[in-house]
Amino acid sequence: MLEVKNLTKTLPGGRKLLDGISFKVEKGEFVGILGPSGAGKTLTLRCLNGLLRPDGGSVLLNDGSNGVQDICKAGKRELRKMRRRIGVIFQGYHLVKRLSALENVMIGRLGEINTLRSILYGFTDKEAEEAFQALQNVKISHLAGSRIAGMSGGEMQRVAIARAIFQRPSLLLADEPISNLDPSNAKIIMKMIRPLAEQMPVIGVFHQPEMTAKYCTRVIAIKDGRIIYDGDPRLSNELLIEIYGEELRQIEQAPLALRVDEHHELHTTDAMIHKIRDHEPTGL
Amino acid sequence: MNLQDFSLRRYRKRLLPLSILLLLVILSARVCGVSGEGLRSGIIKGYAFLGHLFPPDWAAFPEMIGPAFESVVIALLATFFGVFLSLCFALAAAANISYPWLRSLSRAFIAIERSLPEIIIVLILVAAFGLGPVPGMLALTLGCIGMLGKLFADAIEEIDIVTIEAIEAVGANKGQVIVFGVLPQIMPRVISYAMFRFEINIRLSVLLGAVGAGGIGYELDSAFNLLQYHRAFTALIVTLLLVFIIERLSGYLRKKIKVEGALK
Repeated sequence: MLEVKNLTKTLPGGRKLLDGISFKVEKGEFVGILGPSGAGKTLTLRCLNGLLRPDGGSVLLNDGSNGVQDICKAGKRELRKMRRRIGVIFQGYHLVKRLSALENVMIGRLGEINTLRSILYGFTDKEAEEAFQALQNVKISHLAGSRIAGMSGGEMQRVAIARAIFQRPSLLLADEPISNLDPSNAKIIMKMIRPLAEQMPVIGVFHQPEMTAKYCTRVIAIKDGRIIYDGDPRLSNELLIEIYGEELRQIEQAPLALRVDEHHELHTTDAMIHKIRDHEPTGL
Repeated sequence: MNLQDFSLRRYRKRLLPLSILLLLVILSARVCGVSGEGLRSGIIKGYAFLGHLFPPDWAAFPEMIGPAFESVVIALLATFFGVFLSLCFALAAAANISYPWLRSLSRAFIAIERSLPEIIIVLILVAAFGLGPVPGMLALTLGCIGMLGKLFADAIEEIDIVTIEAIEAVGANKGQVIVFGVLPQIMPRVISYAMFRFEINIRLSVLLGAVGAGGIGYELDSAFNLLQYHRAFTALIVTLLLVFIIERLSGYLRKKIKVEGALK
């Protein structure tokens, strides 16, 4: 179970990025966070796994065995320990390109493994088998030995999900996991994430209201650092316009979802630059 | 402005830097005492000296194999230890994974090392360890840090930092992040730079041999000092062969790595 209480983050200039975000997520829920760019969705998500420290508020994680812990107040060591229990899936996959799919999955459990053993790549047969199982779960075990470089976006996101599954987390976060994918791959990925909610709370940031309506159990909408909606994932048109602004109303012909898609095209350019950089020849 | 003016301007743009350069060259030649007459007589003397070298003393050839091998071993050991040390310094010097204070410290050390020529280092080390291959090897090892340390550090600063974040997000510690996130990403460059440095180390090990660090360079130098010019010529041929073979081999390997990297 995860409880977020009154998160605030203010820029030195006084602009409030997060202005009192509070919500509670239980096991079995797949929560989609919606909102326009710059609303504070990703910022909220980064607070949840300690990549960003808010100015105020707390993120309480309770997974039964360890009791309630506040990730916002954890020290360096504690933070590392807590992160083992939080799986993250990113928009840009964030896999190590020069390692194989299986090795990338194994990274998921680094936090639990003795440093010396992991530095020597000394994974046990049992761990290797479980990692392979995780790849089988996302139906990509045939690529277990292939390097990440050269895989398609859909394949990479599946490996990233396998990494998160192998990590055995008690909370799963997803930061725009389908924004770089084509519609059919996006659906496949959503179908793979959804059942994971039966074992742990899943929280994802999305730009696709039609997807969250279909696969999430609950939607939280954030605008200007505040929660403006929290409830049923099927949002009314009026609500969508309230979230994304009057622009949505202006072009009546195109379906809603399409226009929201255009909106986040900007985000994908970053990932593309990374891709180009990775394919540059190296060496002297 | 008519066309003629324009052409004049165009030439002036080229002429000014050229004439400044020419002036500098002439002034420097004056300071060093370079004269046309000196060059002419030097070339004639040098040509006559080349005659003394012929023919090479083939009988000495087998004796050169051992020292040549020693030069290769010196360079190999120095490259191996040098790459390892450079990686350590580079990890400490990379802005994206190191601490600010450690970064400036390591960067400063790398910069200082780079400004020290290997020949100075070996002179100090010969005073400490005496003549022989050990000071040569150590000097070349240290010599790697200045160049490789900086190249590796820059390579690390260019890696995909989001990958590092993802590995930190599973609760991995610094060592694990380095082994799983940093090293795989810089490995092709590390290997390529290391082989390039190995070529340099071969040439330097010959040079350092001449100041007492063993190997084929020592043979070359002592043959010259003993006025055994035919023997010196043999050593020279072996040196040329050695450098040529190593450069070809390393160039071939580096090309292979590059092609593989481009495909992946």
